[in-house]
Amino acid sequence: MAKTGMERLKELEKEIYKCIHCKACRFAYSGEPSREGIGEYTGKQGTVLYEGMVDACPAGIEYGWEAFWNAGKIWIARSILSGDLDFSDEVRDVIMPCITCGQCSAQCDNKIPTVDIIESLRAACNEAGIPMIEKHELVDRLVKELNNPYGGKAAERFKWAKDAGLEKFVDNKEAKIGYYVGCTASYRQVEVAIATAKLFEMLGINFTLVGDEVCCGSPFFRIGAVDTAQELMNKNLEAFKGLEMVYFSCAGCYRTITLDYPKWMPEGSKLPFKTQHAFELVTRLIQQEKIKFKPNKELKGKIVTYHDPCHTGRHFGVDFEQELIKQSKNLMFDMRKIKEKIDKWFEIPRIILRKLEEDVGIEFREMYRIKLNSMCCGAGGGVRAGYPDFSIRTASLRCDEANAVEADILTTECPFCWRNLTDANELYNHGMKVMGVLQMITEYNLLEILDNPTEKDFLTSSIRELEADSEKKK
Amino acid sequence: MSYKLADEKDLEAMIGIVGKDYATNNKAITASYLSKSVMGLESQIPDIVIRPKYVEEIRKILLYCSAEKIAVSPISAGLSGGFACPTIKPAGVMLDLGRMNRIIEVDTENRYVVVEPGVTIGELWAYMHKNYPEWAPPVPDGAPPASTVMGDAIDRGFSLYTSSVGPQGDNFMCGEIVFPNGDIVRTGSWALPFAKPFYKYGLGPDIWSFLMGSQGALGVMTKVAVKIYPHPKFKTVVVWGMSNPEDMQNLTLEIGKQEFGIAHNTVMVQGGNYPLVMTRWPKDKVPHDYEFYEQLGISKWWMNWECWAQTQEELDYVVNRINKMAEDFKKNRAKDPDGIKPQELHPKQIASRLKKPNKIAIPYSFWEAGFLFITFYTPWNECAHFAEMYCKAMEDRGFPPVMWIASIERCRQAICMPIICFDSTKQSDFEKVQEMNRETTEYALKQGWLNYRPDPYIHAPLTYSQAGMYWKYLRMMKKMFDPNMIMHPGRLALP
Repeated sequence: MAKTGMERLKELEKEIYKCIHCKACRFAYSGEPSREGIGEYTGKQGTVLYEGMVDACPAGIEYGWEAFWNAGKIWIARSILSGDLDFSDEVRDVIMPCITCGQCSAQCDNKIPTVDIIESLRAACNEAGIPMIEKHELVDRLVKELNNPYGGKAAERFKWAKDAGLEKFVDNKEAKIGYYVGCTASYRQVEVAIATAKLFEMLGINFTLVGDEVCCGSPFFRIGAVDTAQELMNKNLEAFKGLEMVYFSCAGCYRTITLDYPKWMPEGSKLPFKTQHAFELVTRLIQQEKIKFKPNKELKGKIVTYHDPCHTGRHFGVDFEQELIKQSKNLMFDMRKIKEKIDKWFEIPRIILRKLEEDVGIEFREMYRIKLNSMCCGAGGGVRAGYPDFSIRTASLRCDEANAVEADILTTECPFCWRNLTDANELYNHGMKVMGVLQMITEYNLLEILDNPTEKDFLTSSIRELEADSEKKK
Repeated sequence: MSYKLADEKDLEAMIGIVGKDYATNNKAITASYLSKSVMGLESQIPDIVIRPKYVEEIRKILLYCSAEKIAVSPISAGLSGGFACPTIKPAGVMLDLGRMNRIIEVDTENRYVVVEPGVTIGELWAYMHKNYPEWAPPVPDGAPPASTVMGDAIDRGFSLYTSSVGPQGDNFMCGEIVFPNGDIVRTGSWALPFAKPFYKYGLGPDIWSFLMGSQGALGVMTKVAVKIYPHPKFKTVVVWGMSNPEDMQNLTLEIGKQEFGIAHNTVMVQGGNYPLVMTRWPKDKVPHDYEFYEQLGISKWWMNWECWAQTQEELDYVVNRINKMAEDFKKNRAKDPDGIKPQELHPKQIASRLKKPNKIAIPYSFWEAGFLFITFYTPWNECAHFAEMYCKAMEDRGFPPVMWIASIERCRQAICMPIICFDSTKQSDFEKVQEMNRETTEYALKQGWLNYRPDPYIHAPLTYSQAGMYWKYLRMMKKMFDPNMIMHPGRLALP
């Protein structure tokens, strides 16, 4: 039996009561006021000093009131638990415009799982009978009818594959490996889906696109519609059963199926397949010297920067940290190792980008806020659907930061980030190209195979799982 | 004293002053200003929150609230990190001054910076680091970077230079205050229209000092001139360990009493006991026995001397003098000579301790779920007595005996801060903390020790009950500035 949002909130009571309202969570690099940076930059959304601590909570920046910054929301949660505050439209309207990017969690020295708390608060708010905002009601209705929040027809989920000549992979019964495409890449950013599937084809992976794939449920876990999310989860678990490995190109789907499903599945059960993002595979093949990249005149000299999607970056980093804290017997000794492991995780896409720099001739230039301190693109947490203007302004703030390092190309590895950053790039004339890293590899035909990868390479566990296993063995 | 409960009509009036985007009685928003931790457990949800931007807006708000008898509590921006004075009963209007966040002026010849209430220590430090790297403001150590410069000022807190130059309050030259009677007063030399804020004791008796420690109970400070100091490149940290607080107290006093040439270079002198290290981690994730910490080279008690100097030669001189004095103390006067040990720090540890501002004070919630600083001032040569008394009181109630002690003005005073790490989800823990707070305060007052920031329900009433004449004049003077007693009622046991 699944837990209710209120039950989950009560479970998190001790974490909620750890908040001392110090407000460190509003900043990136909250403990580093003297951090060197690139200085002051005036972008489309105003002037930001990319040095020292920088305001980094999108909802707080947008709305200003204490309630919209993370600490305010944690004290709202505490007030709900203590009975000082009841759920109401006012509470909903404060807790919903949060992108759940987890910047706050990464800054918290008391290690408060803020995203879990906010999602549980939203679920409890729904359960209390407070109606969803209209736009969330719409996507909830659409996904119930059509299994995706975009209103796309189920039969057209893999139209992109047919159009790209990749139809043979749809319901490929011989495959042990699946590619979970997700709704955004299926119905909107088909470039990401095509690039990923073509890359798999070039690498020789015998994979399947699962015809019964439905929305992963990410937006619904985020906005507190956990019943809807669990229904979708059960459909996907049924559809993907029997596969050994499932690959992802979407950060949100990867996070949801890998981190959320086990929390909401019946107690004691595990995901029936292994998961990893496609960029993990590419990184591993680079490290094994099985692939390299071809030089490209068009890309040579281009300044390329990378946006860490919250769902593949910080959410995994924070989850990793929470898990290792649970396992630790002496945290004073283990914390440094935990930090090293998190940094290793964030290096994975950067290994690809540095290889592109070496082989292709791009110039990889980091933005100021990266890795655990990365600024969100503004799309997650139900915000793009519910609060589109705020969402796009946040994406533009991120584009400003890419402009500040003079990027020609802003890369990421999530179609949802891609969509929001692309829209902001166009709407506010940031003048860059936005694309996925894997998309760059396939669109510019950069892949060169040095040593054909084997099926074993494709079935090797995620770096994340290997790290966790090695820690358990110790 | 009774106050009017702010209603919709009052909200409309506030909106008329600051605009609809900056005044609200939205229940979710008002609840988000709660803060029952670090410095106090009494926070109450305000009825209305207002975020003014300009001094004139504050003046109008105060005049209105005074006429209507609505209580007003100002916070600078940092909440528990800085001003630490959330609304208490009877709630009323909270003024969140976070939008007043300008760094107005930096004068490196007269060595001050003028800031508004919402400027955080992180922002000011970063601004100075970038634009005036030769100069540094007196930011508090350990307080989160989101706490405010003014919050620390008005509380006369502990800062980067306190051990050398004196209480943090002495680092503030002049201020601008709005009183509920509608007057805007500038103190010190600033009282003259064309004067720089260069002299605190400007025009006869000093009004600024009267406002220090007022916790928002007298008026709203809207500008303050803060001293800045040279920020030399030659810095290090010297640490000596001891087995007991008396040796810590006496060695530190010997060094502090040197005053010239040595103690003036020790900008921050602070120490404590090994549970200060232990309780930064979850209770079930670290060893509790001292033996473990001993193996790591951590003494039961220790003292850090953070030394700043203009040249390497000067720094070496200071470090050598401290070390020689410690050796001499160990040989000739220590209670437990074997316990006196130099603690060698790795360069990374030194760099970490020199980093300002930092988040050192934050993770004490990690131990269980919540913590409280209960801070006292004592004469320096009584801090060991205080430490022993308070550590016992904490242990008797099952709390880890966490003690932090720092020197103010070269050991003229000690700021002693027990950190009560407890489970704030448990009502029984809350009650134990409050009972201990009451008992230890009664004991402390008998010794003549003072609270750093008296809380409204234990420290302030117990303290003023022993200082009736002082309280009488305090009340009379408040009445003069705040005729209807609307400013932060109850905060200092004043209506």
